[in-house]
Amino acid sequence: MSDSVLISVEDLVYEYPDGTRALDGVRLEVREHEFIALIGQNGSGKTTLSKSLNGILKPTRGTVRIGELDTRSRGVTRKIVTQVGYVFQNPDHQLFNNTVHKEIAYGPRNIGLGHEEVEARVEEAARVCGVKPELFEEHPFFLTKGLRQRVSIASILAMRPRVIIVDEPTTGQDRRQSVEVMNFLRDLWERGGHTVIIVTHEMPIVSEYARRCVVLSRGQVLLDGPTREVFARPDALAQAQVKPPQITRLAQALGDHGVRGDVLSVDEMMEEFDRVTSS
Amino acid sequence: MDAVAIRGLAWKYAGRSSFAIEEVDLTIPAGAFVGVVGPNEHGKTTLVSCIKGIIPHGFHGVWRGTVELFGEDVRALGSQRLAELSGFVFADPEAQFTSMTVEEELAFGLENLGLPVAEIERRLVWVSDLTGIGALWDKSPYEISGGQKQRVAIASALAMKPRLLILDEPTSMLDPLGKDAVFDLLASVKRETDMTVIVVEHNVEQVAPLADLMLLVHRGRVARAAPPELFFEDCDLLIESGVQPPQATLFLDRLKRQGRFPGKLSPRFEEDVAAVRDVLAGRARGGGTP
Repeated sequence: MSDSVLISVEDLVYEYPDGTRALDGVRLEVREHEFIALIGQNGSGKTTLSKSLNGILKPTRGTVRIGELDTRSRGVTRKIVTQVGYVFQNPDHQLFNNTVHKEIAYGPRNIGLGHEEVEARVEEAARVCGVKPELFEEHPFFLTKGLRQRVSIASILAMRPRVIIVDEPTTGQDRRQSVEVMNFLRDLWERGGHTVIIVTHEMPIVSEYARRCVVLSRGQVLLDGPTREVFARPDALAQAQVKPPQITRLAQALGDHGVRGDVLSVDEMMEEFDRVTSS
Repeated sequence: MDAVAIRGLAWKYAGRSSFAIEEVDLTIPAGAFVGVVGPNEHGKTTLVSCIKGIIPHGFHGVWRGTVELFGEDVRALGSQRLAELSGFVFADPEAQFTSMTVEEELAFGLENLGLPVAEIERRLVWVSDLTGIGALWDKSPYEISGGQKQRVAIASALAMKPRLLILDEPTSMLDPLGKDAVFDLLASVKRETDMTVIVVEHNVEQVAPLADLMLLVHRGRVARAAPPELFFEDCDLLIESGVQPPQATLFLDRLKRQGRFPGKLSPRFEEDVAAVRDVLAGRARGGGTP
């Protein structure tokens, strides 16, 4: 992993107009080529933080810097959207054009790119996202939810951001759909070299895909580290009312038999069981 | 008497070329708690809609076979009788709200049934105690948390005292605390009433521990119908069918197939922990379910 810092958050406080303090002194660095999960209960501040990371929300106090850009500076929005993309939980909140092609081309056109460059980006983003050219003239609303989600991700990728934030990518999806979208995000991270940040409540998804886990509670970062280390601290997680995945909890309940408490998958639990029973 | 008796059921929506469900034969005993799992678009909602009578009464299409609710053919029942026999709760609680306060919301269905005021008051107290929403009566149902909204939606259905309660993905829009609140409530319903309950749910880890019967709906058919301790045998087939078994159950299934765990599989976490402890202590016996 490179140490190059892409986003730097310092002492971030965010208050909504009604006075509710959603973030209360957050410090965070997002580096190049990371796969991060932001977790925490509703109201913990994770959506507010994720929307602060690309300047949708401006800090009440403190700073968010994307490279050299301070998100509070005037006129930086056009630069930010080429650095950090945000995919909404519900694709229908994001899609508003009447064809798939116009939807993916909207961002590149909006930042004033020429026709050929726009076409090249649409073709590239659609190919990466598995959106076939024969769908370009379809209305996005008549596609399946999985395809609508891919179109919304393609429209973000067309801006070629280095960081892509995806809000609850698997909510309401069945197992096959969840695996499909998460494997796709892993490909973007592994092969595309993007930094991927997911906001999620699905702990097995976090343990399988995210290498780093940031736990928010009451507007503050409670834990931040490798996913394995974070899930190995059930007492600290309990403060955020977050439970590790069931297989991790099973391992932790068997600590008195010598089972390690940082198991992340059923395969790892089988290996750990073999180790304990053969020793 | 069976709560639900389905024979040779098939349903095709008007304008579609293939059947949404077919070859469904199923009986659900009165008082059972049933978990329905399976991939999206494979027929779960269609199946429960046929049991509730939403299909064929509210849709055009081709129907074959019979569905009986407590011995009565759903196709012959009017809307009042259907409402008395069964209640329905949707994924989005706001989709079923009609009133400006929780109290009015709870009373709405009862007033439509034409119940006397004293009976309505009795039921509001009963259902509020059961669901823990007494403190919310004066609030707008739109201004409470997601978990509270779904508890109000379920309470409104429960207040009608249907003999069968159907919930279609009641926790899919909730955060983990909201999900816990709904499953705690469903556990209370199971413990304190004799209602038959059918829950369509992706969250196998939370629905299976409550279930007497689990159904896998796959490609328009009921591909597996069994009590939980049998339903989870051969977890790989469930995974291939797009269902994620609880991780601890999956682990015990693997041990079992290696001949290292002789007991029955349980979807209940505490029982799984005890079963693995027994294996580790070299005293594996029945394990799983008691």
